[in-house]
Amino acid sequence: MLKPKQMSKVLLTGHKDVLEPTIETLHDLHALHVEEYVEEDYFHIGTPLPGADEGSKKLLKLRSIASFLGIKKPYHKPINARQLSSELEEKLETLGGVVSGKLRRKSQIEADLKDVQTRMHEVEAFSGIPVNFDLCGGYETLHIFAGTVKKGVDVEAGLKRVTDEYQFVTGNTGVFILAVPVKHRDSVADLLAEYEFGEVKIPAISGTPDDLISELKSRQDSLTKDIESLSSEIDSVKAEYEDFILASEELLSIETQKKEAPLVFATSEHAFVIDGWIPDDEFETLRSRVEEATGNRVHVTKVEEPVDEASVPIEYDNPKIVKPMEAVMNLYARPRYNEIDPTAFVFIAFPLFYGLILGDIGYALILLAISLYGRSKLHGEGWNSLFTVLIYCNIVTLFFGILYGEFLGFPLAGLHGHPGLIPGWETISLFEGLGGEHITYPIHRTHLVTTLLVATLLIGVIHINVGLIAGFRNVLVKHGMKAAILEKIAWIVLQVGIFLLLFGMMGVVMSMVPGAVVFALAVIMLVAGEGGTAIMELPSVLSNVLSYSRLLAVGLSSIGIATAVNIMAGMMFDSGGLFIVVAAIIFILGHALNTALSIIAPGLHALRLQYVEFFTKFYEGGGRIYNPFGYNRIYTEE
Amino acid sequence: MTIDIAAATVEQILANQKGLIAIGAGLAVGLTGLGSAIAEKDIGSAAVGAFTEKEELFGKGLIMTVIPETIVIFGFVIAIMLIL
Repeated sequence: MLKPKQMSKVLLTGHKDVLEPTIETLHDLHALHVEEYVEEDYFHIGTPLPGADEGSKKLLKLRSIASFLGIKKPYHKPINARQLSSELEEKLETLGGVVSGKLRRKSQIEADLKDVQTRMHEVEAFSGIPVNFDLCGGYETLHIFAGTVKKGVDVEAGLKRVTDEYQFVTGNTGVFILAVPVKHRDSVADLLAEYEFGEVKIPAISGTPDDLISELKSRQDSLTKDIESLSSEIDSVKAEYEDFILASEELLSIETQKKEAPLVFATSEHAFVIDGWIPDDEFETLRSRVEEATGNRVHVTKVEEPVDEASVPIEYDNPKIVKPMEAVMNLYARPRYNEIDPTAFVFIAFPLFYGLILGDIGYALILLAISLYGRSKLHGEGWNSLFTVLIYCNIVTLFFGILYGEFLGFPLAGLHGHPGLIPGWETISLFEGLGGEHITYPIHRTHLVTTLLVATLLIGVIHINVGLIAGFRNVLVKHGMKAAILEKIAWIVLQVGIFLLLFGMMGVVMSMVPGAVVFALAVIMLVAGEGGTAIMELPSVLSNVLSYSRLLAVGLSSIGIATAVNIMAGMMFDSGGLFIVVAAIIFILGHALNTALSIIAPGLHALRLQYVEFFTKFYEGGGRIYNPFGYNRIYTEE
Repeated sequence: MTIDIAAATVEQILANQKGLIAIGAGLAVGLTGLGSAIAEKDIGSAAVGAFTEKEELFGKGLIMTVIPETIVIFGFVIAIMLIL
């Protein structure tokens, strides 16, 4: 806790003959962060072990099958890896055959269906016209028009003015077929143009439109049925092979990972060198296991020379309960190797601030239920951390909710004659706060603004100074005592100066001189430590502390929204009748909105106080991710 | 509505002053909020652009984005001081 895991730099050297067992052992151990070798004069990067190509080909095939079958990643009972690998080849072959056949059939049916649909579209325009399409073309003396004109036009009346020799048929859709002698073609075309004629192509098939339509319909139905039966076949293949596909994908990934590992190792003609990092406490295990597996033919050494802080991969070292907070840290940056790891601070301060802001029993219970449900339904490390953090936050919110006596914006206890939600529970006045306010139980935030404002600012002062002390330690390690005092302690001295000045103004201290002296001393220290720019940063003490007033402000705005919803719903409810339904809708929608805001607003503001006000006092971040060589098996077991 | 000062009672004048204080407090929060918003919109869009390119910048981007929020916090403190 408070520091990342201690790491050792390790070199493994050995003969290429024992490269394979070495890789096996390292993979099983899943602890060595391998440094990629950058090619220089003598050593070259290694070549993959034999069989790597074939493995990746199989993997490719398997993944394309998985994507065709639409296999997602649920949690399953792991399959024995040894047994799987013995039957993998054969089973993959059968599966490939089955799936490629189905794939071909599926694309064939889909193409046919598309074809039928286009035809249908063409023919449907002529629905209701009792003419065989065969008769609509191939004449020397006749010209055929097929198409539509604008609505409300009597084509035949117009035609009669040109000629009596014509055949005109129209169907259900407004499309007509018109045959006229060739000699009248131009004049009829002119007439039709006046009527905004739009030509429709006559399909090149034989049969009357209605016959064709029913024929195409039955064809379409049978194709759709085919697709349905095919998808149910695909589903049964999926159900049968799902476990196998997931497990063998994992198995092959592991195989490929092992076989391609030499690509990041340094190798000469006969030897290999693996360079990496391992947590201190696992070094002995690594050495003994590698030596055992290779009959002492690999030399494992710890590199003792001092190393660059930036090159060490960072693995958090936190108790299990604090672990989910690492997600909050990663969002900002991983700690550096010699830095304090603030995850534990965040573990305390983040839920505390969240709870202070929200502090409502109703929202806490809703969000607790949501996050507990979400955690059981959505797997994966990211979701798990998110929901766990939310659970922590809302446990604290529940506590503050009881302290504030709030339920969905309603006060639970009565105050000044206004009854609370729980009849008979009256607010008890405890002692006097600031600005003539009375501290009560439960605390009514809206009636205690001055006191709570000062309280939040005090929380800010404490939080910031914890940050400064952590900063003192970080600078001490990196640049020595003098720098640490001038850069970090000076800010604490500055705050003491400001407080003395304030006390001087309020008359608590006799004069303002001590305050002024301490303040000046702090400024001199800061200028000596950080240069002239420090003077420009002096107001940041004030703005940082004032920033904590959001702990009150955001909470009040949340109460504001909740109260507004309650009042609106209450007014509707009092009107009676149908308005009771409206009241219920307003109540539910309003509080749903406020619940969503209750994740975002307190969450972001609590987060911001960590990132901006707290971390800037000491935290640099930017450590590399510790990514050990190995694999987290889900679907297989050894 | 105009108030005839000569005819106004003390209560009316006090109520009127209270109203002016409320307007002042509202302006303090509202205008500073607007100021924060204007500042944050530019920084925010740049930050989103930055961390779509490089995800590690999320934390830094968030910090940069929320720095102008201090303005509205000052407004809030002033508003409270006005009201109390």
